[in-house]
Amino acid sequence: MAGLTFADVRFWYPATERPALDGVSLAVAPGDVVAVIGSVGAGASTLLLVAARLAPRVTGGTLEGVVEAVPAGIVLPTPWTQSSGMAFTVADEVAFGPANLGVTRDEIARRVDRWMARLEVAHLAGRDPATLSGGELQRVILAGVLAMERDLLLLDEPTAELDPAGAALVWRLIRDLARTEQKSVLVATSDLDAVPDFATHVVWLDKGRVRAAGAPAAVLTADAIWTSGPGSTTVAGLWRRAGLAAPAPLTVADLLARVR
Amino acid sequence: MSGRHPFTLLAFAAALPALAWTLPAPWGAAGTFAVALLLCLTPGSRPGLGILRTAILTAAPFWLFLFLLHDRATALAIALRLSTMIASFVWLVAILPPARLVEALVAAGYSVHVAFLFAATLSAVPVMRARAQRIVDAQRCRGLATRGGPLTRLRALRALALPLVLSALHEVDERALALETRGLSAGARRTALAPPPDSTAERVVRWTLVAACVAGVVGRVLWRV
Repeated sequence: MAGLTFADVRFWYPATERPALDGVSLAVAPGDVVAVIGSVGAGASTLLLVAARLAPRVTGGTLEGVVEAVPAGIVLPTPWTQSSGMAFTVADEVAFGPANLGVTRDEIARRVDRWMARLEVAHLAGRDPATLSGGELQRVILAGVLAMERDLLLLDEPTAELDPAGAALVWRLIRDLARTEQKSVLVATSDLDAVPDFATHVVWLDKGRVRAAGAPAAVLTADAIWTSGPGSTTVAGLWRRAGLAAPAPLTVADLLARVR
Repeated sequence: MSGRHPFTLLAFAAALPALAWTLPAPWGAAGTFAVALLLCLTPGSRPGLGILRTAILTAAPFWLFLFLLHDRATALAIALRLSTMIASFVWLVAILPPARLVEALVAAGYSVHVAFLFAATLSAVPVMRARAQRIVDAQRCRGLATRGGPLTRLRALRALALPLVLSALHEVDERALALETRGLSAGARRTALAPPPDSTAERVVRWTLVAACVAGVVGRVLWRV
């Protein structure tokens, strides 16, 4: 069974006439990392909220179509509004989700150690979450959601507060989780340079509709993504600006392979 | 006192105002107010004098208006009762971290939603204070004068009120989403991570306080009859 399936899904926020999602169909299978890209207001965040069953249950609004999803862990883009506010320490903050799921205390301790280590925040274990920087808190929130050990991960701009090294760590981790633990991962991101490295599929959303979907090499090299979409990677942009023959390489590694 | 079980702290904070309103005025309320002030001086998460100052500064405007509106005896009785309530609440907020209360409630078998309702009430004051400070700082960066005479401060207060209320309302939505994402409504019984230790002595103290409140109510009813 797919981790997530959308079939002709439409969603309206309360008191709006234009749907935020308009006839969206997609599937995320175990082992897939699907990157959702699009311009501001394209509906990527809404897609994740619907997948997590937070919309319309918490946000209000109207949903049409079929959404099938296994229980999900979702990371929202602003870490400071995702902290529980009920934890003395970073370790307690990471334990918050598993505790709410009724996981045993021993297992919670194991998960807290594991995910703090993988997000490289173990040295912050005793700190008050309120005293962390934005980047530190984003890693802690990620650790907290991953510690819930859900099969479907929904990540909305998970590296927005991170420095390049922190972002690279998170993208590596996401790719590893899909490959080694068969997690289904849906990521909304504007970090297009990272997409070819971690995503197995790309969905380009435009005003709530799927404009294109497929392998990163197919979606991110389309002409339309430059003319009416969010653009593509820096390398592809330079290739295009130089007037070189399509298809453009997406990464430095692709570029070197082409040049050699 | 900060090491005591959260229910014991809650019992003190609830019993003192209850006794203040049921015991004969002004001496009953004066006694409960004195106990509340003493509690404010006990070691907690903040220095005792800081808690005491917050309690007195919060209560002071009520004294002023009550003495303007009522005769001296009535004003004194109501002021002492209100001050007991204020000092007890300020003390409780200062001494009881919401996370400990959640742990205690969950360990006692209460639903996690009930636990968070209590905890959110306790954490509202420091959260609003921090938010107000952020808004004031942002407004200062944009040239708003917030220091000076009463008129300047009044203007600054007006500029603070609307963004404070609106941002608080906005964060309610975000907080609800955030807690949902962390499994708050998953339907499972929450695991207590570090249930606070309780003792027979503390349970006796709590029941004694409950009994005192019941006796106060009964005495009040009989005395009135």
